[in-house]
Amino acid sequence: MKNLRIHLGLLAPLLVVTAMILWPIITGNVSSREIVFTILKAIALASSLNILLGYTGYVSFGHIVFYGFGGYVGLYFVNEQGWSIWLGMLVGGIAAGMLAFLLGKAILRLRGAYFALATIGINEAMKAFINNFELFGGPIGMTINFSVYRDYGGAAQALSMSFYIMAVLTFTALIASHLVRLSKFGLGLQAIRENEDAAEVMGVVAPNAKTWAYVLSAIIPGMVGVLFFFKNGNVEPHVAFPLHSSIELLVMVMLGGQGTVLGPVLGALAYQGMRGYLVTSNFFKDIQLSVSGVLLLLIVLFIPAGAIGWLRHRVPVLRRVLA
Amino acid sequence: MKRIFFVLTALLVTFSMLLTACQQQTTEPDEPQQQATEEVVSEEPSSKEVAVIIGFTSSLTGSQEVSSKRQVNGFTHWMNQVNESGGVTLSDGTVVKFDYKTYDDESNAERVQELYTRLITEDNADFLISPYSSGLTSAASIVAEQNGKVMITAGAADDDAYKTGNTSLFQLYTPGSLYMASTVDMLVDLDPEAKIALVHESDKFSTGVAEGIKPYLEANGFEIVLEEGYASDTADFGPIVNKIAGSGATVLLGGGHYNDGTALARALYERKIGLKFVYLLVAPADTKFPELGDAALGVATSSQWELAATHTEEEANNLGVEWFGPTGEDFATSYEAAYGDPPTYHVAGGYTAGLVLQKAIIDADSVDPEAVKAALNAMNLFTFYGGIQFDTSEEAHGLQLAHKMVVAQWQKTETGELKRVIIAPADVATADPVYPIPAP
Repeated sequence: MKNLRIHLGLLAPLLVVTAMILWPIITGNVSSREIVFTILKAIALASSLNILLGYTGYVSFGHIVFYGFGGYVGLYFVNEQGWSIWLGMLVGGIAAGMLAFLLGKAILRLRGAYFALATIGINEAMKAFINNFELFGGPIGMTINFSVYRDYGGAAQALSMSFYIMAVLTFTALIASHLVRLSKFGLGLQAIRENEDAAEVMGVVAPNAKTWAYVLSAIIPGMVGVLFFFKNGNVEPHVAFPLHSSIELLVMVMLGGQGTVLGPVLGALAYQGMRGYLVTSNFFKDIQLSVSGVLLLLIVLFIPAGAIGWLRHRVPVLRRVLA
Repeated sequence: MKRIFFVLTALLVTFSMLLTACQQQTTEPDEPQQQATEEVVSEEPSSKEVAVIIGFTSSLTGSQEVSSKRQVNGFTHWMNQVNESGGVTLSDGTVVKFDYKTYDDESNAERVQELYTRLITEDNADFLISPYSSGLTSAASIVAEQNGKVMITAGAADDDAYKTGNTSLFQLYTPGSLYMASTVDMLVDLDPEAKIALVHESDKFSTGVAEGIKPYLEANGFEIVLEEGYASDTADFGPIVNKIAGSGATVLLGGGHYNDGTALARALYERKIGLKFVYLLVAPADTKFPELGDAALGVATSSQWELAATHTEEEANNLGVEWFGPTGEDFATSYEAAYGDPPTYHVAGGYTAGLVLQKAIIDADSVDPEAVKAALNAMNLFTFYGGIQFDTSEEAHGLQLAHKMVVAQWQKTETGELKRVIIAPADVATADPVYPIPAP
């Protein structure tokens, strides 16, 4: 019973994501499946970022670097070396984690705005590196030959399979986020977020904790990158390292509520759902970027703690389930 | 303190997004967007009338905005003309009229597959036109392939996009690897001792073009003294121009898209490094290019189509190839009357995408996708835009085989106005090349 209470906070995110996954399966609507894929991808990335941003309090403007780097490494092995997508994703995740470990050792000694600025530089530096790295195709990137999909039953089956793999990755990201939040390690991260100096006095080895938080927050994005580029059929540097996507991830986490498991889910769902609606709406499609910008400005101005923070503040009884 | 930092960060992020959005939206369309969709839908179809829906995404915002919008205008101009002339009548009396559905892909890969899936499954698109760029087209082609939809590509020049084992792509443009071939042929005659600097935008398209031409340059005995890529958002070309000057190059081949191309041309003019010939991709083909003033003088480019060198029925007859569609003059006159601007090759490409589909439906005598695909595979056609024939091999299905590019150069008329003239190939040239370019 006690264990059930502890894990109650995971219930709502899992239910929301499960409902989303079931929607296209029940309706059999392929277009809905593609919409949900985009949302699930955003949830997986935002939940991963939340480990660093929400629990540790470090704002990373360049988190998409792990998605791009992991994606490139994994796709290289899938497309050029003939490895399966499963091995490719594993390698992509490991590569992203290793990159985060090395970067973490170097830049996690910086705090606040200095750390945020350094992360922007890393993303741009990695983009420039890949742009000049001939093994990964340089500026031309890599294009998947359709024969790669034959191993999975053809292009249609490969795209369908990608949806289910993304669903698994999303669940994994949520469970990892939840377990980190409840763990002693997670408490250490939250202590760092509140006051890093005090946390160190209390015995938290801040540099190590931050580095492992960074590594954890990088692995899923690396795997998501491999899957997305596999599904997309090609990868180019500007597609793999879009700085605006890093900013969008920050918005999603802040919109839903940082430091919670459910927050990034709701933030990603709201943000991607809104963008998806606006871009296909006959009325809004020509002004969709302006409309989403204004809406976000209003939300951030009036609900700075995010949807979950606002609900927890207003409805105390929900505090146990809205974690 | 931390809370303040977070709130400030959130505000900064949101403000930057708002600013980006506003910046992208303040660029007014160059030409009026004709919403033919509404017009067609409002007509009550007769019992023998079918409306064929053509789906595509366009880059109304983002880096490909200018070229993509022109292409859409060309396509809608074709559609309006066909519908106004009564559509296409099949042998069983069925009248085929055209309608379209489009979304903004923001030049962003993330939503392309989602949007093309929506076009096919929700909007019931019968045929597809590709997004403007090669990367987006590769993503969209997977969706087209899995749904058995024909996709005419206009703008996706990269050869690799067709070497995927696809069966549904049909390319209108000359492949990227052959973009500069006519220019190199011209240089062989003009100055076989020329030293070449290949300086291009580091993106898929421009790098593909530069990499594609290197073997051809070397086969023709040219020395490549500098190979340099620059970032897409480069605004200060000072260091790159210094490198070109230091390399001893006499001819520059390269560029990328509109913004960087104009900035590079301006920097070359200001630094006065004495190049004999400057060739840039895309930018000099735009009607806005002479806004650079004297910096535009002598700059050359390849063009998929130029009114001054438009292809004719006589040319088709001489080659023994079937002719189809309006003359280049008729196309240009009607387009200018509708949109107020002379057509660029992007406009011509959009128009021809529709024209080729129309001819394939006529040849197939059906709107069945498989029949139309077979007609496209068998097509060997000449239009005002040039030759149209597709590679039908498994290795590079859909790659354009028959279309040749012309070389255009900005020269001054007797009255001192800048005018784009055709300088190669010799059989369609309207002026001699200015070589070397006069020192500024």
